Amino acid sequence: MEIIEKIKTNKSNDNLTEIQKICLHKLQSSPLPNPKSELWRLSNKSKLSNFLDYSVNEKDSKFDIPYPKNSQNTIRLIIGENCQIKLIKKNYSIQQLSEDELQKYIKEQISFFTQNENWSDLLNLSLSCKNNILGLKINGSKIPPIEIFSHASSNSLNAKTLVIFLEKNCDVELLQVNLGKENSSLSQSTFFCLKENSSVNHGVVSYGENRSNLLNSLNVIQQKNSAYNLGSLHFKFNYARFEISIKQSAGNAKTNIKGMQITKNDEQISTYTKIEFNGPNGFLDQINKSLADDKSHAIFEGSIIVPKIAQRTDASQLSRNLLLSNLAQIDTKPQLEIIADDVKCKHGATISQLNEEELFYMRTRGITLTEASKLQLSSYFQEIISFIPVSKDRWDLLDKLLHEN
Amino acid sequence: MVNENLVKDVVKEPYKYGFVTDIETEKIEKGLNEDIIKLISQKKEEPKFLLDFRLKAFKKWQKMKEPDWASLGYKKIDYQDIIYYSAPKQKEKISSLDEVDPKLLETFDKLGIPLTEQKKLTNVAVDAVFDSVSIATTFREELAEHGVIFCSISEAVKNHADLIEKYLGTVVPASDNYFAALNSAVFSDGSFVYIPKGVNCPMDLSSYFRINSGDSGQFERTLIIAEESSSVSYLEGCTAPMFDTNTLHAAVVELIALDDASIKYSTVQNWYAGDEEGIGGIFNFVTKRGKCLGKRSKISWSQVETGSAITWKYPSCLLLGEESVGEFYSVALTNNLQQADTGTKMIHIGPKTKSTIVSKGISAGKSKNSYRGLVKMGTKATGSRNYSQCDSMLIGDQASANTFPYIKSQQPNSDIEHEASTCRISEDQLFYLQSRGIEFEEAVSMMVSGFCRDVFNQLPMEFAAEADKLLALKLEGSVG
Repeated sequence: MEIIEKIKTNKSNDNLTEIQKICLHKLQSSPLPNPKSELWRLSNKSKLSNFLDYSVNEKDSKFDIPYPKNSQNTIRLIIGENCQIKLIKKNYSIQQLSEDELQKYIKEQISFFTQNENWSDLLNLSLSCKNNILGLKINGSKIPPIEIFSHASSNSLNAKTLVIFLEKNCDVELLQVNLGKENSSLSQSTFFCLKENSSVNHGVVSYGENRSNLLNSLNVIQQKNSAYNLGSLHFKFNYARFEISIKQSAGNAKTNIKGMQITKNDEQISTYTKIEFNGPNGFLDQINKSLADDKSHAIFEGSIIVPKIAQRTDASQLSRNLLLSNLAQIDTKPQLEIIADDVKCKHGATISQLNEEELFYMRTRGITLTEASKLQLSSYFQEIISFIPVSKDRWDLLDKLLHEN
Repeated sequence: MVNENLVKDVVKEPYKYGFVTDIETEKIEKGLNEDIIKLISQKKEEPKFLLDFRLKAFKKWQKMKEPDWASLGYKKIDYQDIIYYSAPKQKEKISSLDEVDPKLLETFDKLGIPLTEQKKLTNVAVDAVFDSVSIATTFREELAEHGVIFCSISEAVKNHADLIEKYLGTVVPASDNYFAALNSAVFSDGSFVYIPKGVNCPMDLSSYFRINSGDSGQFERTLIIAEESSSVSYLEGCTAPMFDTNTLHAAVVELIALDDASIKYSTVQNWYAGDEEGIGGIFNFVTKRGKCLGKRSKISWSQVETGSAITWKYPSCLLLGEESVGEFYSVALTNNLQQADTGTKMIHIGPKTKSTIVSKGISAGKSKNSYRGLVKMGTKATGSRNYSQCDSMLIGDQASANTFPYIKSQQPNSDIEHEASTCRISEDQLFYLQSRGIEFEEAVSMMVSGFCRDVFNQLPMEFAAEADKLLALKLEGSVG
């Protein structure tokens, strides 16, 4: 109940938007997720309560983009900066969604939400004030890469919401960067609607500083013949959850997901994915990697749902995990729920350590153990990083990760 | 698409064990309370420690909630509407099989279970359990020569109370889960096996469970102890008559393997599954667990699950001893409105432990077939390995196949591999077989049999033949 009080005391009831009111109402009966449910069973309770401990902050501190823009051709946006976006070029247009469009879409989404399954979104939308919701409508092709930043301020709980409509036949590369600050909590919810024949290469890079927390939720709806490619990377968070929900609303769409989470110290990072095929001929290729060191805990739960209508679905899901310390833990649970009979579905999971034979081989060639481990790790990371659009060269993610590990 | 309909026809096969034996039975009144438990205990002339065990379990059960995580849809069970003890009336003590009611023998004859002397051609010793009590155990003298104890658990309570007191409830404690607690409170009979040190059991042991009355539940308990360097192969079969009410079967099986011992436990479960509309059938809620206590011990579960309206069963292995091995081979076939939620738990605790899981699920009709398994590597399980493979086959577009593997590792120096796939009977393969002159029905049967081959290879010979026949029967039908 505390969290609801917190939101309400921050604002008088009249100042709450309609969406905030609906979400608060949904949270009213049970403000916290059910710790016994599959989605929250493994989540660290004290870390979650630590997430909620910070006071709600609607105004951002001054934010400097951490990396210089070295390509003139990139569009950079920061959620929470109150600016008007209207870019209309020959080949493409990027415009802010009107208030009505935004409200209508979010309300429609909320109507499907349940307290337990969409708790992170409900929390986000009940916290997000008007300024912290960014809605974009993207149209056209040959669009320069887009980078969207979302960040938290120290000692506070920030909520940011992003809604993106990709119009028909649109093709875009988009990188979302979520940055945590020391002692901060960031709640980020993203809603993607891919219309027919559109395609996006979506990157999500989230990293924090000491004791920063993140609840990152991603909801994607794919219409016919759309292609959604997601490369994601989460590291350096005391507590982070990445919840992905993808619906192929009429099938005939392609989804590729390559995600990775890296945990150290006593961090806990988890990824939950739910992919639903609501039409025939859907395609999914998913790989999720985890690396857990020290006393940390990495969790992956992925479910693939193939109802009767989704004939000829081709879905595969792979969870690969590296456990590097005696005190670290990895939980993984890839799931298949299938009713259609003419489908090809498979999943796999492995948990292991660095390959000893490979390490031995490299050492016989004069490479030190540390170097050899780094080489192995870099090949492990590379598969995911090379899938993240825009960033791969400029962000030096590989260096950052190897340096951290 | 023609083929699809044919396949659907093929999987319809009436249940042939659905007859009821008209025999006078002794039943106690419906309901469950402390007095009923005391009455069961008194009827079985049990020592005090067992009555205490039951009452303690009952207290725990009262505080527990029926689990709902398996998302099995069934109407709420009224635990006060069940008879917890039902036994065929017979003479007090049976010294030979001649004294067993011929109707009972006839029943087991019909089921193809060799109880009578002339039928003991196969080298299998049988313990037959009818409703709540064990009615006969064969080959006892021969087994006794080797020091093997094979009897009903009620007899064991009387004659080997020390072993029962030492081991009962050590693998599956009464508080383990709702159905295990219920079983611990009201279990009526079951089998007890003790293999002494260094003995390889000279023949396969088998128990056959038969539910006969429609309103009584069956709550049997099996305890198998294999001492150092011993080995045993145990087979279990189950059938029940057709009733339009649901009957509850909540069993507990505990296996204990000490140093270098090996236990192979095979099940062919063919309880009545209910009719096409899902009316009737057995609710099969079973807790089976083996403890590899000793070094290099091995426990292997193999099961063929074709019956029951609802199956909720996870034969598990606790791998404590160094280099101990756990295995699980399973075929689960569901049809019509059957629901099966089955799998295994491999808990690696000791170092260099190994486990293998091979699970094959076949769902037809409107049935629901789920694999749910847990593989856990504890902090001390260095150098341990697990390999899991779960394949599902769907027949028709209304059946569902789910896979829920839970994998947890706390030991970096261990390897876990899991793979799962889902497919259907391939039209190309069917066409190929048919073009070679093999009839459609036989082709389907061959392909299903081939799909399950990895598991059938693990079954003891008699069972493998029975299982193959059982699946073929279930797939035999009105075609051509």
